[in-house]
Amino acid sequence: MALKLWSGAEARGRAEDTLVHSDALYNLARYLTHDPSDAEDLVQETYERALRAWNDFAPGTNVKAWLFRILRNAFITRYRHDVRHPAPAPYDTTEQSPGQGAEGRSGRTEVEPEQMRRLVSSDIEAALRTLSDDARTVILLDVEGFTESEVAVVLGCAVGTVKSRLNRARAALRLELADYAARERP
Amino acid sequence: MTCEDVQNRLREFSRHLLDPAAHAEMDAHLQGCAACSSAERLEHSLDELLEQRLPRYDAPTSLKRRLGLLAGRPATSRREPTRWARAIAPAMAAGIALFVVGGLVQRSTGRSELASLTSEAVNDHLRVLASEHPLDVESGGSHQVKPWFEGKLDFAPVVPAVEGSELRLRGGSVGYVFDRKAAVLVYGLRRHVVTLLVFRPDGLDWPDRDTRQIGPVRGHEMSARGFNVVLWRSGGLAYALVSDVNAEELAQNATRFAAATVQEQGP
Repeated sequence: MALKLWSGAEARGRAEDTLVHSDALYNLARYLTHDPSDAEDLVQETYERALRAWNDFAPGTNVKAWLFRILRNAFITRYRHDVRHPAPAPYDTTEQSPGQGAEGRSGRTEVEPEQMRRLVSSDIEAALRTLSDDARTVILLDVEGFTESEVAVVLGCAVGTVKSRLNRARAALRLELADYAARERP
Repeated sequence: MTCEDVQNRLREFSRHLLDPAAHAEMDAHLQGCAACSSAERLEHSLDELLEQRLPRYDAPTSLKRRLGLLAGRPATSRREPTRWARAIAPAMAAGIALFVVGGLVQRSTGRSELASLTSEAVNDHLRVLASEHPLDVESGGSHQVKPWFEGKLDFAPVVPAVEGSELRLRGGSVGYVFDRKAAVLVYGLRRHVVTLLVFRPDGLDWPDRDTRQIGPVRGHEMSARGFNVVLWRSGGLAYALVSDVNAEELAQNATRFAAATVQEQGP
């Protein structure tokens, strides 16, 4: 896609308003795509879409939530495109409910806080990656500091839906963490 | 309130998003219910795990450079000097040099004072973050917190209730800024902690240069050790707002605070 620059008196403000969120967008993109190059492409596509849609952006709207919404939509579009045109390393977008994987396995118990404290970064990242894209997204948006209302804007759903999705996603993550905590036991 | 109700609202409870009555009801339930109390500890541990140990990936510099071009961020341009400027440049150079040296001495003093104040404000904020019990008074609202300071300080702090923002007053305590007591007001902003220090500015060096408009007053926007700080004075008191939220958002909230303090106390 040819790059088309923002120009004019508002360019500086627009650039600063949006670029300040590039790290946060890239972080979500990394967890969605599992690949640094794909994450870069996804973030760049997000900014290209934002550039084209800027005239539709209503002043006063939360820029960060708007950008995250664009990124998520770009990811979904890209995934759907890749389903029709499979790539060598497809994304792991699945339509299972957040806790589906966890519920399907019997004999799993909740992790204890003491066990959680022994987990290391790679365990948490690995456990998070086992969740569905939707579950991972809602957890990462929550960690990013978005309110439930803002998450609802990003996901395009009701606040009540965000609450239930987040509760289910966190429950599923706790079960996954329990597995990692069990492996850590001497 | 049933155990199911409580467990469905644990996140809102831990983030102080419930109204005071519901918060108190949940608090009472948690104290008497081992199962819910255990669930609450679990939620808290998961929050800590995600916030402190989940790896975070920053965008590579090369990507940021591309995005900057895409978004049309103006490059640091150097304008060609005009013919007039070229003609008088030698004559002005000597004068400018003298002026700059003098100005730098003054400016560096001002910056040093501001840096010192900023560092002190960040230290106070870190004490709030590090303390297991950062609040001496829990908040049910500014009308509950403000009276608590009576007799503990030699001034009456303004405890702003910021309308129309996501800031939630969690409570307060008494701290110190340099050699004087300060009201330490702690707010929650989503997952971030925002500390507002209110103290007397008497005798402190407070430079008036390089100020920015902070709502109805002028002040300074600073940063130190990864924290952003906004400093301003109003109504005979000094204010320092500190947090790790980004500078733009903190400045917006400082504007609200400054407006609230002026409204309550007068400029």
